[in-house]
Amino acid sequence: MTGLALERVRHRYPDATVDSVHAVDLEVASGGMLALVGPSGSGKSTLLRVAAGLEQPTAGRVLLGDRDVTALPPERRGLSVVSQRPHLFDHLDVTGNVAFGPRVAGVPRREARTRARRYLDLVHLDELGRRRPGQLSGGQQQRVALARALATGREVLLLDEPFGSLDAALRSAMHELLGELRAAVDPTVLLVTHDLDEAALAERVGVLVDGRLHQVAEPGELYRRPATLTVARLLGGFVEVPGTVVPTTGGPQHRSAWGCWSLPGDAGAAGRSTSGDAVLLVRREDLRLVPDGPRDGHPTGPGVRGRVVASRRRGVRVVAVVETSDRSRVEVELAPREDVAVGTPVGVRPTDGAAVWAVDAPQCDPSSLTRHTRHAAHLPGSGPRACDDALRD
Amino acid sequence: MSATAATAVRRSATGLALLWLLAPLLPVVLWAVSSRWSGRARLPQELGLDGWTAALEAGLAPALVRSVLLGLAVAAVATPLGAWAGRLLGWRIARRPRLLAVALVLPVLLPPLAVAMGLDVVVLRIGVPGPLAVLAVLTVLALPYTAFTAAAGFARVGPGPEEQARTLGANPRQARWLVTWPALRRSLAVAGLLAFLVGWSDYVVTLLLGGGQLVTLPLLLGASASGTGNEPTTAALAVVAASPGLLLLVVAALVLRAARADATGRSGRMAR
Repeated sequence: MTGLALERVRHRYPDATVDSVHAVDLEVASGGMLALVGPSGSGKSTLLRVAAGLEQPTAGRVLLGDRDVTALPPERRGLSVVSQRPHLFDHLDVTGNVAFGPRVAGVPRREARTRARRYLDLVHLDELGRRRPGQLSGGQQQRVALARALATGREVLLLDEPFGSLDAALRSAMHELLGELRAAVDPTVLLVTHDLDEAALAERVGVLVDGRLHQVAEPGELYRRPATLTVARLLGGFVEVPGTVVPTTGGPQHRSAWGCWSLPGDAGAAGRSTSGDAVLLVRREDLRLVPDGPRDGHPTGPGVRGRVVASRRRGVRVVAVVETSDRSRVEVELAPREDVAVGTPVGVRPTDGAAVWAVDAPQCDPSSLTRHTRHAAHLPGSGPRACDDALRD
Repeated sequence: MSATAATAVRRSATGLALLWLLAPLLPVVLWAVSSRWSGRARLPQELGLDGWTAALEAGLAPALVRSVLLGLAVAAVATPLGAWAGRLLGWRIARRPRLLAVALVLPVLLPPLAVAMGLDVVVLRIGVPGPLAVLAVLTVLALPYTAFTAAAGFARVGPGPEEQARTLGANPRQARWLVTWPALRRSLAVAGLLAFLVGWSDYVVTLLLGGGQLVTLPLLLGASASGTGNEPTTAALAVVAASPGLLLLVVAALVLRAARADATGRSGRMAR
């Protein structure tokens, strides 16, 4: 059953020349959670404000269950919002803040405060009810904001980067709390965030770029099979291999400067169209460095030859940057405790069972492509070529 | 700079500011409590309350009441109007905020005497009662102060809390009364005090447009000051006339202190 749905929602700010949101369709199942990710200015918060009734859509509908609430003001929609700034009311104590929703709904003061204490207990702040918002830490303020939103008894919770201003440890604690609250209260949640780890808390993730919804999928699916190159770049961690998909008797093959990749039928663009320009996406962790040489011990498959020009530490992992002969760069995640010296000539090959995914090559000017893509796209060898297992220069 | 040195510097600066403010008032206060202070004597030769008695006989009490009422009336009209304009400016709701700002400031840019004389002619022609005309003109003169003070408050608070209240179920009226106004209480209090002072201290507009029907404290003070030999009376009236300004200063200091305490979380509430 649908909890919240946006149907063909468009939005344009006054005096703007382009839409901030373009005909977005979005559905959050009742009791489910959908995270909306996208770069700054992509329209995520605008979309959430449209859902909340704080902005009117230029076109389209907002549905709560079967109820069309597009024309209703925020207070009559049955949604509550928690944003990055908690907007606690300074003139009220913590309990008064949480009791605000029930109070304006006509609940007597004593009863509203009793209810508020129950929700404060849920967010583990039952002992701070008499404090003023200014006396709370940032994390505590966000907990109060969550309790206040839940105390309204509304079924749909809109979270607009609610933990964006908290440090990593607090954010992690808030993620746990959100899980607890979902288990206890079971609200329908639409979460707007730019934190991809936070987005993975949701059952489904939508990717909004330039006001357009590029993909809605389960978090794992999104990482395995981004619908477009834009989504892949937003998620990060992919190596892009531009080339061409050609049909063969053994199934579609992607041919590029790396050589040939035999594609499974469900490998994205390759599966949809049997031929044409396509960018192959390989997860950085699915590549490995191999010794450079005419035969590197790897029986078959694509690969490129290059030289390690840098190694960068990303958390506990180390990423080696390999520059190929056409000066494009490929980042390869090293295995734990693996190391490689800068300047070492190496080959780059996919690991056994590496998942690949092909997306349509963007039909746009070369400036929108990454450096690697741009160079590779102009290589003489980037078109269809014979398959063998040699490393390519 | 160490904390002790910083405190010493702050205290010295406060002391100097108070001296700068109060030094000119000291002779007035001395005059108000003296019966005789002649020639080049450094201090009054004789203390007494003759000035206060004369001031009361000249109509200090009714003039004081009229001044208070006029100040309150100006504050009562100019503060909500200023809050409305301040909301348009502070939340950038106005389509042409600069035009609105200029329109608000224009009346105080013109010389009040010229404006009052011009308006006097108009008011006489159309038959508007003097006190009402005074109230209307002083409200216009107070509006820039109330509007810009309120605008700063609205800009500081932002529309976020009001929107938040709406999403929690409050209708627009509830959101304004239960959330926005309480958040703006300090700004609005200062705006109201400024408007009160405009009404309280006005001389020219009340004199010309009031047509003698509205004898306020500044008019009494002006009449007394234009005479000679009644310095104690003039000083007594001046002390009363200066008191709301000093009160405003004290209130503003307290407001700033409370705001600073709120911002840093170091208020008396912490102890509870």
